[in-house]
Amino acid sequence: MIPSSALMQADELLPEGLEIGFKLVPAIMVISMMTLFLAVGFVFKVADTDDMWVAGRSIGNVENGMAIGANWMSAASYLGMAALIALSGVYGLAFVVGWTTGYFVLLIFLAAQMRRFGKYTAPDFVGDRFNSDTARALAAVTTFLIGFVYALGQARGMGLVGMYVLGDINNVIAIPGLSAYQAMMTLFMLITIAYLTLSGMLGATKNMALQYVILIGAFLVGLLATGWVSGYSTILPQIEYGMLISELGNEFSDPFAGGSYYLWIATCFSLVFGTCGLPHVLVRFYTVENERTARWSCTWGLGFIAVLYLSAPAFAAFGTDLYTNSEFGPTYGDPGMSDAAADVIVVLAAQLANLPTWLVGFVAAGGIAAAVATTAGLFIAASSAISHDIYANIINEDATQRQQVLVGRLSIIAIGLLTILFALNPQAPIAALVSFAFALAAIVLFPMFFLGLWWENTNRPGALAGMTSGIIIWFIPMLNEGQFGLINGGAGFGIEFLETWMPAIGSALIGVPLVFAITIFVSYVTDEPPLRTKQMVRQCHSPDPMPKDKTAAQVVAEKNGNAHADD
Amino acid sequence: MYDKILIPTDGSEVANNAVAHAIDLAEKYDAEVHALFVADTDMVAYSLGTEQVDRIRQGKFGEMTELADDAKEATGFVREQAEAAGLDFAERHAGGQPHDVIADYARDNEIDLIVMGSHGRSGVRRALLGSVTERTLRSTHVPVFVVDYVEGR
Repeated sequence: MIPSSALMQADELLPEGLEIGFKLVPAIMVISMMTLFLAVGFVFKVADTDDMWVAGRSIGNVENGMAIGANWMSAASYLGMAALIALSGVYGLAFVVGWTTGYFVLLIFLAAQMRRFGKYTAPDFVGDRFNSDTARALAAVTTFLIGFVYALGQARGMGLVGMYVLGDINNVIAIPGLSAYQAMMTLFMLITIAYLTLSGMLGATKNMALQYVILIGAFLVGLLATGWVSGYSTILPQIEYGMLISELGNEFSDPFAGGSYYLWIATCFSLVFGTCGLPHVLVRFYTVENERTARWSCTWGLGFIAVLYLSAPAFAAFGTDLYTNSEFGPTYGDPGMSDAAADVIVVLAAQLANLPTWLVGFVAAGGIAAAVATTAGLFIAASSAISHDIYANIINEDATQRQQVLVGRLSIIAIGLLTILFALNPQAPIAALVSFAFALAAIVLFPMFFLGLWWENTNRPGALAGMTSGIIIWFIPMLNEGQFGLINGGAGFGIEFLETWMPAIGSALIGVPLVFAITIFVSYVTDEPPLRTKQMVRQCHSPDPMPKDKTAAQVVAEKNGNAHADD
Repeated sequence: MYDKILIPTDGSEVANNAVAHAIDLAEKYDAEVHALFVADTDMVAYSLGTEQVDRIRQGKFGEMTELADDAKEATGFVREQAEAAGLDFAERHAGGQPHDVIADYARDNEIDLIVMGSHGRSGVRRALLGSVTERTLRSTHVPVFVVDYVEGR
């Protein structure tokens, strides 16, 4: 399905089979869920700390793991993954495999070392490691782009599920030129921005753990109920769905029917290394108590994420079968299930199983909450890239705190509007949109993190060459396939050779080795980095435990005296 | 009249400009000088990420190297001036909503006078931001001495 037919643009996004109309109970559920998140944020509001040097309560690794899980579980995990499995069968498993394997690479190669380096944000790390403000700016722009592309997928999810909950606004007041999807997407994005403004003021990540519990609860209850009522499964749908496999049709169960072997590998590769380069995931590791907590948080995070990922294929299987046997079926063939319907398969399955409205609403509300929470995290990461890394570090070094708040707020509004604008006609399903962001993270940021932490001779020219070429490499297949609708009115260049061997969804398979090669080559032919930088890298791997309140840079500076970026 | 003078500072030129006035007053009244740096949790959330707000809550300010440096530099500037004038000096680094923290500190430490920069910005910027000074005026009963700062003067 991906990338050929599923990427084709529907004129209007309308998931067939989904009951579109205002539903009171689900609407109340969505609202109360969001209110609950805000209320918890308010209760755990950062009280004024009289003295910042006095220790408060630290965050354990289970809680941090849940936070990673909640931050991670977006519309792509909640809705998109099941959608792809339903539409493309085994191809969709690349997402399950990719998004979990990535955590192993993160655990082994990056988590603890990142903690030792001790910076606040991903661009901070790149800027300080390569001693260059240009590198910092490139990383910040990449972070912003990742947030934007990733949010497109979330916006699409909110819009589609929003139609189930609130219905078609044109039935109430006709807004010319705005379809039901567009109205809902815009509404929920505005709600997200409002939520973000409020929760940002409360400054609480406290409810991440709560968000995780609610999201996973909604998903699992929905799955169990759907399986039970339809007679597919009893208590372990994650295993019992296997009995359905032979009935679902070759499109579901045959390996590589929905995407070639090469495409599977390319997608998987992109997702694995994209996970390791995602700024809003890595940031959780900068703040934990020590390297040990960083490792355990990563492990717990993976565990919590796996709970959802083991269940998604089961949900997809139930949904596919219910859809095939419904009046809208069959799932495959012509016309088959549209990608808009697939994107809400989780909600659709619950609805087709004739579950009570409140239960379907709970599942839908979970999906919206997942999208809102993740978008909030992404926007915060994007706003810090602008206000901390570009504004306060490069443009105005004497920026006051107030100015930084202003720039941060403005950049959140900017990225929000940009997302709304480009999500009006999303050109790909949720999971595909999100994977573009992963490809970008894998191509541009992952090589910088990996080489930066593991090869002390990586230098500034190498990093600059690698990141610049990485950004270009990422754009080539994106434009070729007509994403963003910028080229030929959305048709793209359409070079078939490129589409086959470097699909945008898996461009990292080509891009990552290329960027590694360019970075290493340029680092070899130019001067070695200063000794201080090398010492910092060594410090990240030193066998001696590091003092808690020190960063690698400080340890090195204590030996040598301090230095600043020299370009 | 004024035994304890509080100087809230963020290390900006506007704030540093007010310090000279405060020190001069303190010398006249032989007052104790308190310097207070407040890390605005809003700023931390927007520019460093909400994870850093958690760090503040956990009291791991020392790990936030850049912010801790800013804080030390800001109150350090006041300390230098106060010590040069031979005045008693106290400093504090706190986190939260600046005007709240300033008002609380003034109450808890029996401050007699707050001297602070105006941040007197006009137009759009003021409308969007509000101003710490203005909010402080509204949240405390302690007299506040506001020093305006015009660039280039």
